[in-house]
This record gives sequence, C-alpha cells and structure tokens, in this order.
Amino acid sequence: MERWHTHVLREKIDPSSMLIQGNRACALGALDAGVRFFAGYPITPSSEIMEAMAVELPKVGGVFLQMEDEIASICACIGGSLAGQLAMTATSGPGFSLMQEAIGYAIMVEAPLLIVDVMRAGPSTGRPTAPSQGDVMQARWGTHGDHPAVVLAASNVADMYRLTMAAVRFAQRFRTPVTLLADEVVGHMRESFAPELIDRYRLTSGDFDFSPSYIHPELVREVHPPHVLGSEAHPHVTGLIHDETGFPTNDPQKSEKFLRELYDKVGNHRDELCLYDVKNEGKGRVCIVAYGSCARSARAAWKLAEKEGLQVEVLHLYTLFPLPVEIIQKVARRVEFMLIPELNLGQYAREVRKMAENWTTVISMGKIDGTLITPREILDRVTELVGKYESV
Amino acid sequence: MSEVLDIEQFLHTERLPHIWCPGCGNGIVTGAFLRAVLDLGLVREKTVVVGGIGCSSRAVGYIDLGTVHSIHGRALAFATGIKMARPDFTVVVLTGDGDGAAIGGNHFIHACRRNIDITCILFNNQTYGMTGGQVSPTMDPGDRGTTAPYGSIEPSFDLCRLAEAAGASFVARGIAANIRPLERLIKQGIQHKGFSFIEAVVPCPTEYGKRNPPAGVIAMLDDTKARSISVTAAAKMTPDELRDKIVTGILYEDDEAPEFQSAYAAIVERAQAGAAEAPARPKQPAAPRKPRKTAPERPPARNGEAADASGLPLEGGE
Ligand SMILES: Cc1ncc(C[n+]2csc(CCOP(=O)(O)OP(=O)(O)O)c2C)c(N)n1
Ligand code: SF4
Ligand SMILES: [Mg+2]
Repeated sequence: MERWHTHVLREKIDPSSMLIQGNRACALGALDAGVRFFAGYPITPSSEIMEAMAVELPKVGGVFLQMEDEIASICACIGGSLAGQLAMTATSGPGFSLMQEAIGYAIMVEAPLLIVDVMRAGPSTGRPTAPSQGDVMQARWGTHGDHPAVVLAASNVADMYRLTMAAVRFAQRFRTPVTLLADEVVGHMRESFAPELIDRYRLTSGDFDFSPSYIHPELVREVHPPHVLGSEAHPHVTGLIHDETGFPTNDPQKSEKFLRELYDKVGNHRDELCLYDVKNEGKGRVCIVAYGSCARSARAAWKLAEKEGLQVEVLHLYTLFPLPVEIIQKVARRVEFMLIPELNLGQYAREVRKMAENWTTVISMGKIDGTLITPREILDRVTELVGKYESV
Repeated sequence: MSEVLDIEQFLHTERLPHIWCPGCGNGIVTGAFLRAVLDLGLVREKTVVVGGIGCSSRAVGYIDLGTVHSIHGRALAFATGIKMARPDFTVVVLTGDGDGAAIGGNHFIHACRRNIDITCILFNNQTYGMTGGQVSPTMDPGDRGTTAPYGSIEPSFDLCRLAEAAGASFVARGIAANIRPLERLIKQGIQHKGFSFIEAVVPCPTEYGKRNPPAGVIAMLDDTKARSISVTAAAKMTPDELRDKIVTGILYEDDEAPEFQSAYAAIVERAQAGAAEAPARPKQPAAPRKPRKTAPERPPARNGEAADASGLPLEGGE
C-alpha cells in the first residue's frame, strides 16, 4: 500500500543522462516544479544542488544568488518569496542551524519556501562527507516557539526528484517553508533514474504554475490572506504576531487564534501531507520503520529475510513531520516490535515511541559512526527480536 | 494641500500614535524619506521598504507602501532577494546602527560590494534604543551605555567610510537636525543606480541622551548641528580640525560602477542565448574606483581619545 501523490514531468529529463546524482535530481525536480529563485551558500554535501541551479536558472530567466552566508541565503529566499517567486535554498547541518531564526520568520509570515538539508555527521563541523540523519529534530524544532513543520525525507535519487516536487507543492498549498532532508549518501550517490519510476508517480495535472506571484488556487483553509509584495494591497509583513490584516496585535484572543491556525494548517492536514509506503503489509511480528538511506536498507532487509524464511514488515516514511500518527498506530496495533534504524541516537524513534508505545515495543537502532546501517545489521537485530528461521 | 497632509497618503495614520519616545529623531528621518517618495513620484505598488528590528526599523510599520518588518540585522538580505525577484521595484532599507552595522554588518558590506540597486538609510543614534541603551558599534569611546556603565572602550565605526571601502557607489551623511539636506540626500540616493548608503544621525534622547551629554533633545539637536560641517568645507580642513565634526553631504558617488542586478540580467541573456557552452568571457581588469569627493574624516568622535589615534587622512582627495 503506498500513499503518494505528486505530479511529474519527465519530458525535461534527458534520457542520455539518466544516471544522475541525487543532488542533481533535486535541482531538476525543483526546476520542473517551477522553482525560479535560488539563494545559497556552499556546503558539503549539498553544493551540487547549488551548482546545478547556477547553471540552469539563468537559462530559464530565474534568479541565482550566492549569498555571504546561510542566514543571508534564506533571508534572500524569503524576500524572493514575498515578492512572488518560488524560492529555494539548499544546505547542510551547520548552515541549517544558521537558518533557524529566519525559518521561524518564514513560517510566521507564511512564505512558501523549499529548504533542502543534505545531512552530514554532526554536531558542529562533524564529518562533512559522512552520512547522518542527525538533523531530524532540528528540522522539527530548530526555530523557537510553537510552530508547524513539514519535513520530508528522501531515500534515493528518484525521491530527490519527486519529493522535491512534492515539497514545492506543499509549500505552495500550505504557504509555509517545507524542509526536505536527505542524508549525505542520498545526495551524493548516482543511480539510474528510470522513466518508469517517474511514470508511476505521474499525478494530477495543473498543479504547478510557473508565473511569479502564483498563489495556489486551493489554499488550505487555515492559511491567512497571502501578502505578496507588488500587489494592489501594498501589504505589511511582520514576524510579530499579527492578525489577518498583517499588522501586529497584542490582543490575547487574536494572538492565540493566529498561532493556532498557523499550527493547525499543518496538523489538520496530515492525511494529505503524510506520504509513506508499507511493504509486506500485515506480515511478520516486526515492522521496520525507516526513512532516508535506512529505508533502503530496511527494504533490502525485508528481501533478505524472505530468502531466509522470515517475514518482516517495512514502513517507509517519506514524511517525518507532521507525524504520520494514523499509519504508525495502525501498524503498531498489529506488530510486536517496531524497529527504527536511523543514523542518529534515536531521534525519530522517540517520536514513534510516543505514538506507538500503547500497542507495541519500539526499539531504537541508532548508529553514529558515519557509516550506513546495512541490511544485514537490521536483519540480525530483527532475528534477535523474534528468533531465527521463524515459519513463514 | 500642505506637504504634511501630502505625506499622510503614505502613512498608516490609523496605526498612530507611534511607539517612539517624545523627542526621538526617528520620525524626522521617516518624514524626510516620505517626502522623497512623494517628490520622486514613486509608485506605491512598486516601492518596497524593508526594516530590520529596532526602534528605527519600526518605521516600516507606519509606512503605507509595501513594507517588510524583517528580522534583526537581515533587512539587506531580504531586500536583495526582493530586488532580484522584482528588479522593477524601488527597494529601500531602513535600519539602525545595531541592526545594520553590528548583527547585520556582514550583509551590509556584501550589499555594498555587490553594488545592488538598493537604498539603505541607517538611523545612527549610537546606541541600541529598543533594547535599552546598550553599546552600539557607532558609539563613541567613552560614551556610557547600560552594557558600558564605566564608558565604552571600543572604537567606533565610521559607517560611510566602511560603505565606500566595501564598494557602495553612493555614500552620504545627513543629520535629523537639518532636515531638508537630509531629504535631498535620500532623494539622490534613491535616484542613484547602485547601492546607496545614507547615514542619518538621529537623537535618541531616552536611551543615549539620558546617559551622555548633552542631555535633552533640543541640546542634542543643537549639538549635532553645531558639529556638522559640509563635505566641501571639510575638504579644506585638517584632521585635527575635523575631530568631533560630523561631515555631511555626498561623500562618495560613482555613477559608472557596475550594478549587480543589471549584471545578472546580462548573464541571463547570455545563458538564454546558449552561451553556457561558449568559453567564459575573458577576464576584465576591475575598473579603478572613483576617487573620494573629499578629504576623509574620522567619525564624529566626541570623547575622542581612541578616535584620533588612527585618524590619518587617505590619499586621493579631489
Ligand atoms: C537575533 C536578535 N538578537 C537580539 C535582538 C534584540 N534586539 C532588538 S532591537 C536590538 C538593537 C537595535 O538597535 P538599533 O539597530 O541601533 O536600533 P534602534 O533601536 O537604536 O533604532 C536588539 C539587540 C533581536 N530582536 N533579535
Ligand atoms: S528609545 Fe531612543 S530610539 Fe527608541 S524610540 Fe525612544 S528615543 Fe527613539
Ligand atoms: Mg540605534
């Protein structure tokens, strides 16, 4: 069972260059989705996205800016977004940290924006070329205050393309920044980018409009009247708590109403925002819940297990936030264990535990040595949990 | 209609009274800016004003144009994005000495360097008004602030010299105490194609004035007026004579310096003509910067000790 929707445009992909890098696929997805504004600051392992945009954006009349740091980058993006451009930036952990204050501003002023964070091992400078999933909670709670967050996670090159497009669509419809997380290996690996794969995800039409000042015709109902600079309304935009006029308010009722609507516009639409894939549905006592590179290992572990006579379910999450509560709880009800392999010390496992612990035992399998979690490692852990060679 | 009423069309009068203290100079500069908008006949829908955070930046909350009250220090980065997204906009940044020169200092020098067609008006009150009178990077050594109860030991920035050195192609200084010349400078700055920096020296009687002489807003205005001197007069003076002076007028102007947005538009043209495959354009030597209009001066150092130590004049006065 796969819950997925996006649209695709395969036409632009040159079949002769089908073996492409994850970061490049991300840039192509962004361009195909109508992104015409990029501001960034180089950082491994995300720089290839920026470099691709430097080549491609001028060709389509878009704006490319290398700013003086990541703070300037995201602020320039917000400026571009307020002026009606579909804007995007790409970075990695240290740069993502610098962006946090401005991300809160973008959320507050409801500026659609795409932020790609190709994660590297942290904290601090860490290991720039080692894969990691250490930014999961930063993506959720990096900026201060109670705020909504839409966070997607890519697990392969095709994801880098299609999730980038999904992220753009979400940003437009919900008028909020959307973060796409990839781990270093997903950004840097080269894979064949099969047209059939893209075809599978061909979606409804007409969702991408390439004109500046585009406002999604079906905004989520909790979205406040969009303020686009250059419109007749000559709006005021502020990070202060404001009402629908855009001007600040100190009124407790209005403040609460505004903040709740901001929060709910994401929380109330989990059904639309939560993308996932369940493999081997309803089989086995263990479900591996995984995202990013670990989801690939999880899927391989399932195949490996099958060969060895063991059934295991896989829940591959494409959306980390808003929390996919419904599917997690549904699966939790039927399995004895949920195993969460991730390249951190259990950041997402804690979230899963909160959702699932009434029904199942949630086991965190974290790794922070800068190497990937292999299918074998996952399978070993599964067999440890259920006993080897269990009947099919 | 009187001029006062005329500028009301650019004010959200329903949002008044403003938050500024009695005697604050911010309203004077805001008024000067709005008269410039009026005189230049700027189109409301195509004029965007970006503020950072601070008392001065709050001006954007009263101005009825497209206004963005951004985050502390980042107004120029926002403005850069806006200008690039909409080159047809007139983009103006209103910022403070803390906002523009401390937390936003990096964006400031880079906006100057790019020479992007944005006008930046910096309200220099030599302190952090909004947060209660702390030390700012333009505070004179010896001045007192809540974070320098024994007097500031930091040398201060001369922001005009900084802007010029960083590449701004229009650099000017005016004072709130002398409103018409300030207004003219703002107008010229907006008309100038390239990065225009206008430092407006404003009194903050509440947070700066209460800790530093002369006390009281009238005395503060009188004091800046007495110390201000035109750029032409300053050219004839020695550094010694210039100590404590506030040099006003256009300090630097270069109409030929390449402007960033136009340069980018040329790149788009080349890329669209398929130039990506063509060999890169041969490197051109950078054009020499235009010499300064006047002998350089040190900042308006009042308590002076640290300021004069390095106050040597540069070469190249006209
Ligand atoms: C990131 C961040 N740090 C600190 C502050 C607190 N803060 C608000 S205004 C301000 C100083 C403003 O000084 P200035 O730009 O000179 O403006 P003035 O109030 O003097 O006009 C500070 C430190 C903030 N809002 N955001
Ligand atoms: S604190 Fe100073 S700068 Fe702020 S409003 Fe009062 S007088 Fe003006
Ligand atoms: Mg100040």
